[in-house]
Amino acid sequence: MRSYITENARAWSRRTLLVAALGMPFIRMARADPHARIAVVDWALLETLLAIGAAPVAATELVQFRKIAVEPPVPPQVADLGLRGSPNYEMLLLSRPDLIVSSPWFAWAEGSLSRIAPVASYSIYEPGRPPFAPAEQVTNLLGERLGRPREAQDYVAATYREIERARQQLAAWTRRPVFLINLGDARHFRVFGPDSMFGDVLQRIGFENAWPRPTSYGAAAPIPLEALAQVPEATIVIISSTPPDAERTLADSPIWNAIPAVRAGRVVMLDPINPFGALPSARRFARLLTNALLAAGSEPA
Amino acid sequence: MTAVPAFTRSRTVWILAAATAVALCGYHVLRLLPLSESFDLNRVVLLNSVLPRAAVALLAGAALGLSGALLQQVLRNPIADASTLGISAGAQLAMTAATLFAPTLMAHSREFVALAGGLAAVVLLMSLTWRRGLEPVTVVLGGMVISLIALALSATMILANGEYMMSLLIWGSGALTQQSWSPAQSIAAVLVASFAASMLLLRPLQIVGLDDASARSLGVSLLWLRLAALAIAVWLAAAVTAEVGIIGFIGLAAPAFARIGGARTQREILLAAPLIGATILWLTDGVVQLVAGGPANMVPTGAATALLGGPLLLYLLPRVRTAGHSPAAANPPPALRIARPVPILLMLLPVAAGLVLLALFVGRGPEGWDIATGSLLEDLLPFRAPRTIAAFAAGGMLAGAGMILQRMTGNPLASPEVLGISAGAGVGLAVVLFTQSAPSMGMRLAGAAVGVLIVLTALLTISGRTEQGSARLLLGGFAAGAFCNAIVNAVMVTGDMRAFQLLTWISGSTNETGWAEAVMAFTTALVLLALLPLMMRWLDILPLGSAPAQAVGLPLQKSRIALVLTASGLTAAASLIVGPLSFVGLVAPHMARLIGFGRAHQQLAAAILIGSGLMVAADWLCRTLAFPYQLPLGLFASLIGGPYLVWLLRRRA
Repeated sequence: MRSYITENARAWSRRTLLVAALGMPFIRMARADPHARIAVVDWALLETLLAIGAAPVAATELVQFRKIAVEPPVPPQVADLGLRGSPNYEMLLLSRPDLIVSSPWFAWAEGSLSRIAPVASYSIYEPGRPPFAPAEQVTNLLGERLGRPREAQDYVAATYREIERARQQLAAWTRRPVFLINLGDARHFRVFGPDSMFGDVLQRIGFENAWPRPTSYGAAAPIPLEALAQVPEATIVIISSTPPDAERTLADSPIWNAIPAVRAGRVVMLDPINPFGALPSARRFARLLTNALLAAGSEPA
Repeated sequence: MTAVPAFTRSRTVWILAAATAVALCGYHVLRLLPLSESFDLNRVVLLNSVLPRAAVALLAGAALGLSGALLQQVLRNPIADASTLGISAGAQLAMTAATLFAPTLMAHSREFVALAGGLAAVVLLMSLTWRRGLEPVTVVLGGMVISLIALALSATMILANGEYMMSLLIWGSGALTQQSWSPAQSIAAVLVASFAASMLLLRPLQIVGLDDASARSLGVSLLWLRLAALAIAVWLAAAVTAEVGIIGFIGLAAPAFARIGGARTQREILLAAPLIGATILWLTDGVVQLVAGGPANMVPTGAATALLGGPLLLYLLPRVRTAGHSPAAANPPPALRIARPVPILLMLLPVAAGLVLLALFVGRGPEGWDIATGSLLEDLLPFRAPRTIAAFAAGGMLAGAGMILQRMTGNPLASPEVLGISAGAGVGLAVVLFTQSAPSMGMRLAGAAVGVLIVLTALLTISGRTEQGSARLLLGGFAAGAFCNAIVNAVMVTGDMRAFQLLTWISGSTNETGWAEAVMAFTTALVLLALLPLMMRWLDILPLGSAPAQAVGLPLQKSRIALVLTASGLTAAASLIVGPLSFVGLVAPHMARLIGFGRAHQQLAAAILIGSGLMVAADWLCRTLAFPYQLPLGLFASLIGGPYLVWLLRRRA
């Protein structure tokens, strides 16, 4: 089995030593809750931490996270570290984390991160690998690491239940393959392949992905609209957020309207979901997809 | 029309180009045939994607060509066009802002938003340069400043709103992919109306080509004529930007090609420019589709026009006739020359030092502003010190490079940013990133330096060394910069981690600047800037022109080579830290001169201090302004450097 975790060993800062020297009486408490102050730079891991009830002290780009990922809700006291592409190291330092949870996507930042606190890096997304199983594994690993194995197991079980429920409710719909797309503008979209979280969950619910080709990191972009006509019997699921003018232009577009699924009205639109999320995003996707398809009609044509 | 041989010959060239474009378009149509009888997606694609795309390419090319011809004539400015005057960038900025802050407005009146942005840019430009009588060089300088500010603002807004990769692909480059005829119809309507209006303005426009006094004596109301022609040109450019995004170079190239081909009168240029613009864009788009492997693929044609247009223009530059436009190229003397420069120089020193201390000690935290001391400072310094030192060195280096370039070319607008040579650093960097698996700092620096050196040498060779080469040099600089940016953009379409590194580089982010970068920047700055005092005499004499320089026994060739090498090294090292856009290389020497430092060594010392201080202050603001969100330094520096330069230019008038 692959190892999903690499740990940066340069853990002993002066502060840690000081705490170790002065804090003998607290050691038992510290063992029960080995990392009281966690900072997280990757959104998928932020989701996971929130899901197992280990709210971090600081995380990146919370303004966008609340808009795009939406759930789990981020407690108001979590400090915002700024853009994922340019995390604010001063703010991170001032949040005084004792552990920074990161992913290989942030390998470029690891040098700076590890100067602030030990970095634990967990990998969910790798090219060509469906991310659900790694996300499940990382959830359990984080649970064990943070002294919350029960919460992690419970969350994984709840995720399976939610997907199973979706599978039962959508059984009648699964005869048609599904395109999972996200609109860049009115003329281009990106498509989520089987190696994306959405694609993985889609398969687990029992659907066939109408875009079976491998993608790079789960989503291939940008694709011309015509590509959607290649599987005429498919259903199209649009995952928000959609640019404001795209929707209007799309409605007027002869090509869009000529796509068989559009002509037959087999298009549903979902609220925003984090496309590179962990189990909470998987659950949100399963739930929103179920609601949207059930609301669209009693039985698919 | 007079049948000049050059005209006939070039007509053959354009007919061949148009024939190639037709053939390419025919090929894309034939790929979809035969159409079947029943419902056929190919038919829909042919009728709603392939054919409208060809129409949009022709119409947008014609509109941009006409817009450029009008702008060049009315401003008597051979390098005026919707992109150099900031019209396209203004339209783009308005659309970006509307998308983010007024989505309903954007969804329902895209064209109106673009027009408002384009008009705002032109009104701003006019108000800034009016008092100087719309003098061409000032107008283009102002236009470039506005354009860079607008693009920097757009980029900052996009970066601050996440979704990097998707926006990255669409950002700033015009894509001609079509889904319906409505963009073609919109552009056609504007083009027809504008063309008719320009024909009405034709006779008075010819008179504008004379100097102001003669025009006035012939009874032409210059003001209204200029405003009317400007409005038409802006409308054309905004319509194109609204429908397909920024397509640079067509408006600049088409009238230039028309003149090279022998078009003499205003009428000939106004007729030829739209035709040439249409041909260029259609041909480019045909090639793009061929290379991209299909009509619907997402390779931005706007990036490709720069890719094709840049080298073509550079090749043809020596033949551009700039006479008759008489660009005011002389390096203006300081408004007031200070009598005792040394005390003032000594005053700049503590200001720069104070800014460094501010950057090191003052910051923001969860509880607001604070001055770091003791152990907190010790914790923060590993993050603050490298970026501050690197910014300090980069600012000084850009100022030095700008100073050399301005003195050497005798062109007040020359600077690493304006001449496109800092964009050359990006190409060099891209080559290193894509050929080496783990490039070291030294390799990145070497790659950037080679890129800068190649662009600068090519530019100086092609533009010629004569004193009349001033407008030519700028035109060549735009071409080179656009060409390099096009290459970097094309490379970024791959969309992997290296593309992210290039995007970070373009935005000039200092967040990841560590000790390796700081040490590299600081040592390069020390070594190269220490060489400059040896070249002071050259820098004092070269602006006088090559004849006087030779008369006093200056080793012309040797001194130029030494200056070019130094400027390249300075630009490359600075660009690695702050990206291609910062503007400090243009601003710092200007500010030094406007304060009153006239002699080369004084101006240089002042410019370096100003550049360093400016960059450190900018980096500090990037860090604190939107805390905890950080702005990229390069983009931000252009946001404060640009307006300040505009303000100073205006005050000087």
